[in-house]
Amino acid sequence: MSRVVVAMSGGVDSSVVAGLLVEQGHEVIGVHMKLHDADPERPGHCCGLDDALDARRVADRLNIPFHVVDLREAFRAAVMDDLTETYVAGATPNPCVRCNGVLKFRVLLQRALALGADALATGHYARVVNGSEGPSLHAALDAQKDQSYFLFPMTRAALTRTLFPLGDLQKDAVRAHARQMGLITANKAESQEICFIPDQDHARFIQRERPELDGSGEIVDESGRVLGLHDGYWRFTVGQRRGLGVALGQPAYVLRIEPSTRRVVVASEPRLWHRGLRAASWVWHERPSPDERVQARIRHRGALVSCSVGAGEEPALRFEEPAWAVAPGQAVVVYRGDRVLGGAWIRGAIEGEA
Amino acid sequence: MSPVYLDHNATGPPRPEVLARALPLFTAHWGNPSSGHALGRAPAAAVEDAREDVARWAGARPRDVIFTSGATEANQLALRGVLALRPGRLLVSAVEHPSILEPAAAIGAEILPVDASGRVRLDLAEALLRGGARLVSVQAANNETGVLQDLDALAELTRAAGAWLHVDAAQIPGRLPAPTAWDLLTITGHKAGGFKGVGALVLRPHVAVTPQQLGGSQERGRRAGTLNTGAIVSLGEVCRLGAAPGLLDLRVRLEQGVLALGAAITGLDAPRLPNTVHLRFPGVGGDALVIALDGLGVCASAGAACASGAAKPSPVLAAMGLPATEGVRLSLGWNTHAGEVDQALAALAESLRRHRAAEELFE
Repeated sequence: MSRVVVAMSGGVDSSVVAGLLVEQGHEVIGVHMKLHDADPERPGHCCGLDDALDARRVADRLNIPFHVVDLREAFRAAVMDDLTETYVAGATPNPCVRCNGVLKFRVLLQRALALGADALATGHYARVVNGSEGPSLHAALDAQKDQSYFLFPMTRAALTRTLFPLGDLQKDAVRAHARQMGLITANKAESQEICFIPDQDHARFIQRERPELDGSGEIVDESGRVLGLHDGYWRFTVGQRRGLGVALGQPAYVLRIEPSTRRVVVASEPRLWHRGLRAASWVWHERPSPDERVQARIRHRGALVSCSVGAGEEPALRFEEPAWAVAPGQAVVVYRGDRVLGGAWIRGAIEGEA
Repeated sequence: MSPVYLDHNATGPPRPEVLARALPLFTAHWGNPSSGHALGRAPAAAVEDAREDVARWAGARPRDVIFTSGATEANQLALRGVLALRPGRLLVSAVEHPSILEPAAAIGAEILPVDASGRVRLDLAEALLRGGARLVSVQAANNETGVLQDLDALAELTRAAGAWLHVDAAQIPGRLPAPTAWDLLTITGHKAGGFKGVGALVLRPHVAVTPQQLGGSQERGRRAGTLNTGAIVSLGEVCRLGAAPGLLDLRVRLEQGVLALGAAITGLDAPRLPNTVHLRFPGVGGDALVIALDGLGVCASAGAACASGAAKPSPVLAAMGLPATEGVRLSLGWNTHAGEVDQALAALAESLRRHRAAEELFE
């Protein structure tokens, strides 16, 4: 038996994690992270309060201590400001990776260890495998639910002290566990949204954060011909087709976003198949050699694409077959089989028609 | 093993004497004291006995004691009840409890700044009051730091400005004698062996308030609602019992221990409640320490909490110019003993050790 802190979001997954660890005889402490404030556009509606109260009810039911920790300052700096800055820089941020890398497996883990805990457990669908060379991060058995993509920034020190009790379970089994343990979160809906952006309208969020900025500009083709106007380049992501309202004679997709000119460059479908990508801030658990054939995921729930990783500090990653719409700002995560070898932040595509 | 409870400024366990005196109000004498029939008589007598106990403690007339649902309601009745009758300027200190600060903000009050110890700056108060005022509201003791205000000096300034002084003395019963310099006085008993859900606003004979809760003639028409008899009796008993002995010795023992651990004590150079120690370890979050202490069987507080239960940065510390997230409050009560103080000190040392070990791991 050991002392384990469980990050309890108020959802079914982390509720079951707490319940399973209690059943296994661990000394469990529930902690809920308060990450941001109420939606300023909806007074009286406190984002996250219902989730905190649900988590507390589950902890009460399991008869474990429960605390809410205020991590708003760290979340604001690491996730919310990063989201705005990334969009303003013409890229597409991934706040969930930032939240896991900085908030959960750094700030919260440190808080857990300061409580004398041996480990932090979360409801992520992923696995930590302890081999002779230390811990390694792997995809969950339930491929539909796998969240290993979000976890690549975890350090070895973090992996050593982390438990993912759901990594070997199917989602159905998790819900069944929750019902069996009588947890009020058993039938709660999944949250698939960015938790701090009301109605998933990130453009409105950016407007509120940076009211002085004007992102409006032209939609052009690759030759510079103006096809239309837009009211904020941060509304767009590479590969996006909807909401352009321009005609190329054939379907047009966002190829590139140029924040300096506020131009959104569109092109036809063949131009969106990319040969490779460049990425920065690589985190390696184990770096593959340049001649090894590995797999990469360039967006959450994206397919794995076969590729190789070049040499150097900021290596190019080359796809065996062209991959669709490499979006700057997203994470690229490299796998060998189901094992996460490392990951980085995408800077740009290596272009070229298929 | 039951936890060491050092959060008496939040609430505390009922004293046996209180339970004994209140119990009949839940058994034989459960009637409504406002009833004219036989079953109303004993509860009415019990409530009036309690009113006399409160009045005697406060140095007031029994008829000037208004029982309420707690100190929060008594504070609202004081501010809104006075200003409804006599509109005018309201001044409150920067370190008041939210049950003063929030209604004061809604009314449009001005703030009396405090010094680094958390005491009202008398020079600035004098300047602010020169323009005249209707009501000044200042706490007797701060709920977080235990720092006592100079009520005599404030009463003098207030009187000179033609204003009344309201004193929130929620933290005083069971710890100190009642303040003497006030025109309206808020108290509650649940932090000192009484029940939750009761408080009182006590008036000087020259003071009147407009009722803020209508619908009955209870409390001479100043506060409608069926009287909470058992709780009222508990407040009376807390006032009759007076201050618990030995608190100051325990506080000194605790303070010497935390200073030896390297803590800073808030308001160290000001007079403080005999039961409250507010400490800070620079760079260590107060809520992290409080959670760690909870895991080691010690109940403490990091100040106010938001609706979710998360600790909020303390406006009291901010007003004093201190880091608003670093405070830990240890508050003693009538049943605290020296062994518990020593247990708390050991737990605090262990919490700090773990905190530093976790920090090193991420450096």
